[in-house]
Amino acid sequence: MSVEQITQKVIDILRGYVKDSALLEKATQETHILKDLKVNSARLVDIIIKCEDVFGTSIDDDEADRIATIGDAVLLIQQKAA
Amino acid sequence: MERRERLLLGLQYVLGQIAVVLTASLCFLFVRLMGYRIRDLKRIRNEVKRMYRAYDGPWIVCPNHLTMIDSLVISYGMLSLADHILHFRRVLWNLPERKNFQRNLFLALICYLAKCLPVDRGGSREGIQRLLEKCCRVLDWGQGLLVFPEGGRSRTARINQENFSYGVGRFLDEKSGCRVMLVYLRGDGQERYGTMPRLGERFTMTVEVFDPGGVDGGGLRVQREYARRIVERLAGMEDEYFAGCG
Repeated sequence: MSVEQITQKVIDILRGYVKDSALLEKATQETHILKDLKVNSARLVDIIIKCEDVFGTSIDDDEADRIATIGDAVLLIQQKAA
Repeated sequence: MERRERLLLGLQYVLGQIAVVLTASLCFLFVRLMGYRIRDLKRIRNEVKRMYRAYDGPWIVCPNHLTMIDSLVISYGMLSLADHILHFRRVLWNLPERKNFQRNLFLALICYLAKCLPVDRGGSREGIQRLLEKCCRVLDWGQGLLVFPEGGRSRTARINQENFSYGVGRFLDEKSGCRVMLVYLRGDGQERYGTMPRLGERFTMTVEVFDPGGVDGGGLRVQREYARRIVERLAGMEDEYFAGCG
């Protein structure tokens, strides 16, 4: 799966958790999930669990702690898929 | 956890113990001056004492959260002044948000001495990690940690079963020797969340030991499930409170 495809899927997942969908329209790899998208830390856990389901992978605590931006999530999923 | 951090945490505990006569007295004086009372206080303290006697290891205490001074009122409700002083080990470590108290130097000092570990909400990953390590360290010491499972004051004034935090689940997942104590605290006049309970408030407080049971799988799902079960039972305690009021 390409980076673009993973990014699009991650953004689709985020749609269910971001209150202001306009924030997602200008989202980039550098977009900070907590600060820029106003997602709280508990919902970030939900997002990561959803990513596990969608991409068929498992993400442990340490890996989850490293996810701050959309790019971090995409990179991690890409590494897991490789 | 770095050696320096461990030493600083140990120093905080020792200084807190030295100052506990002053800090606990000030807190109790504050509660009295505000006219706060808790129904069946003696029975609650005896119940808590029995729980501590039955298990002397680390407790994670999970209350509902309506005001900024819940942890203070809960500490007052759980332990007598003498117990605060003689059993300082049983005084819970607390996780207040840094911005709520660090502008006031006096308050910051009292919080430091009263076993508070400040939280920077939305802070750096390293900062959060350091805080988690401190929490795990105090649990390793066999001391208790007060964690509001909702993650903040309930905006609806009722237990929020939809939008709660999973932090408590992480502690339970990582520290298998912990027991969970649930606390439901509510003043007669607390119809919404706020900064302080009203003057002369009279509280109802219930405590119970909670067994979160086992959860299959691992990682984040387990943490979420533990947190969900705790919040669900707290909501049950809330229902019992309102049923008792009716």
